[in-house]
Amino acid sequence: MDEARVHISGFRMDFGATTVIRDLSFDVQAGETFGFLGSNGSGKTTTIRALLGIYEPTAGILHINGRGFRPEHGDRLGYLPEERGLYKKEKVIDIMTYFGRLKGMDRRAARQWSLAYLDRVALADKASSLLDKLSSGQQQKVQLGVTIMNNPELLILDEPTKGFDPVNRRLLMDIIAGQKRAGATVVMVTHQMEEVERLCDRVILLKDGTAEAYGTIDEVQNKYGGRIIRIKYSGTIPPSPHYAVLLQETNYAELTITDATDEAAILKDLIDDGVTVRSFTTTKVSLEDIFLRVYGDQNEPDVGPPEAGRRTPDGRLSGDNRISRDGA
Amino acid sequence: MARHNLGTVIGFEFVRTVTKRRFWIGTLAVPVIMAIVFGLIFLSNTTTDTAAEAQKSAQFRISYTDASGLVTAGDAALFRARPAGSPDAGIRAVQSGTVDAYFDFPAHPESTAVRVYGTDRGIFENGKYGAVAQAMLARAVEQKIASPQLSTLAAGKAQIDTVTFEGSRESGGLGTVVPPLIFLVIFYGLIVLLAGQMLNSTLEEKENRVTEMILTTLKPTTLIAGKVIALFAIGLLQMIVFTSPIVIGALFFPGELSLSALDLPPLIFDPVRMTVGFLILVGGFALFTTTLVAIGAVMPTAKEAGNFMGVMMALIFVPFYAVALMVSDPHAVIVQIFTYFPFSAPVTALLRNGFGSLNLLEAGIVIAILFGGAAVMLRLAVRLFQYGSISYTSKVSIRTALRGGSRRPGSGAAPTTPAG
Repeated sequence: MDEARVHISGFRMDFGATTVIRDLSFDVQAGETFGFLGSNGSGKTTTIRALLGIYEPTAGILHINGRGFRPEHGDRLGYLPEERGLYKKEKVIDIMTYFGRLKGMDRRAARQWSLAYLDRVALADKASSLLDKLSSGQQQKVQLGVTIMNNPELLILDEPTKGFDPVNRRLLMDIIAGQKRAGATVVMVTHQMEEVERLCDRVILLKDGTAEAYGTIDEVQNKYGGRIIRIKYSGTIPPSPHYAVLLQETNYAELTITDATDEAAILKDLIDDGVTVRSFTTTKVSLEDIFLRVYGDQNEPDVGPPEAGRRTPDGRLSGDNRISRDGA
Repeated sequence: MARHNLGTVIGFEFVRTVTKRRFWIGTLAVPVIMAIVFGLIFLSNTTTDTAAEAQKSAQFRISYTDASGLVTAGDAALFRARPAGSPDAGIRAVQSGTVDAYFDFPAHPESTAVRVYGTDRGIFENGKYGAVAQAMLARAVEQKIASPQLSTLAAGKAQIDTVTFEGSRESGGLGTVVPPLIFLVIFYGLIVLLAGQMLNSTLEEKENRVTEMILTTLKPTTLIAGKVIALFAIGLLQMIVFTSPIVIGALFFPGELSLSALDLPPLIFDPVRMTVGFLILVGGFALFTTTLVAIGAVMPTAKEAGNFMGVMMALIFVPFYAVALMVSDPHAVIVQIFTYFPFSAPVTALLRNGFGSLNLLEAGIVIAILFGGAAVMLRLAVRLFQYGSISYTSKVSIRTALRGGSRRPGSGAAPTTPAG
């Protein structure tokens, strides 16, 4: 078996009396794109900082390429931190050249690479500008450029799309995809579930400092019901042990199957219960739905009405706890 | 790679500072201001001399009484002074404007003050009354002695030329004191000019949120060492700029500057004292820089860090309170404390080295303290930077940082950013 690019085992992190991470273990294989998901405060950034030696873990093993990370190994690491920034009073090209040199490039190569990158992201005319003269989005592009200098073999991106508009977000994703094609292993910490579904091979969902789910996207989707039923109807959808109501609007609802019952049986039950079904389609449960189900109860103000997403004691979404589209 | 990065950090920090317009405005402002001040002093002195000459030759009406009997009528006539009938009459004459000044020479002017009364001409011009009274008395005494030679010697104007020996070897006197004290001047220049930059050097990484990028790219020790060395180089560059007008003037325009008139002793560069001075300078600079960097690492903003600046500045000026003892009694307790307390040691030891009262053993101990202290402070600064710089918006408890280890935030203080 190939050695994992990132290996975390039995990781625990205490801040004083508070345990932020407890017994966390996962691997990231070479060449894969790995989604590191979790709500605010779930311990994602802490895990990344501990992996990169910024924090000293309370316990556990955190390895990159089979050993603890040291800055001396940073020439093939690309890290885009959540708290980001560069030297604001310096010229863009000087900043990029400096970081390129710190990553082992010679001055000329670093400068040439930087100019080519700036041209690619439509900032060629800003090379000699002071960083603080650039807009926030432009600064983010520069920061991303610094991150991917010297063809890193491991890219760790903490909220990479933060501060990007949709156009630049697409550009950013293209750049990340390009790095992946070039052989880089990518670890993405993000709340953008569409991007995770599009780019990531495997994900981990962190909740309360432990892994809530871990595996390929299919595996995670299957764990949370796998499929969603979308129906247009008239009448009243009755409570059922076979499904939970995720969303209910006038004559429209989304259900998730909570046991082994198949879709046809549920359709038959609805018709038998007097529901007039006008359309009935099934799709896979999205990561966003899963995210809301996992974190909805701890992020209530962010995801919708106060009761949204609350789970019943047996783990099903309550029929009374529907998530509105706005809340989603 | 570490060595490569050290050079990269030094180059980046140095170049980005010296390529800033404000750096050169600040640096060149000092010699320009010095030139302006010297020019104004020169002009002012010329004006003052002219005014003094004008006053000296100015005629004003004087009356006097002389209980000592020293001032003869001939002496008084030279100053166009006329005897008054009595002190009261003299004062009344001044008050009525009949005369401009009245001098009351007492019976024993060597122990009793000569009283001078004059019409108010402003605080500067009023000085002429006393000067003329003094001149009258001096003229009278010279006449009594009746010998210009004796008069000069009695006035304490004999020329003294001192030659001292260290064993059988002639010592250099002031000529040996000045060169080692150059290191003291450089030390003050570096600290005063660069203390702010030292304090803010890591704050920049913190305030700009560059810390995490840096900590995953190079060792904090390399970063801080690079910054310290770059600051030293920047400081030396500034000192060169400041002193260049003097050096250029001395080398190429000695005649125009009338340097020979200053009667400077020949400078003697004692290699031992110069080496000691250099090492104390480097050690002291390193200690102060690493200390200021450590302070900066735990402060969230430049404003809060600035509060500590005054304390550090005070530490380099305090030894001057004991400067007389350093010359007369270098083994006094207070001098010994200042010599070996790390933050007062650089100034005290540089002064004593200049005066020749710092022996080699003491110098060795001081140098060891300074370099050892700098190493400890560097280690501390690195720890605080590693821990404190991640606490972007809050002040870090030093105790917490040290107890928790270099990177372990496990002793109470949670990070200020979400642990997301």
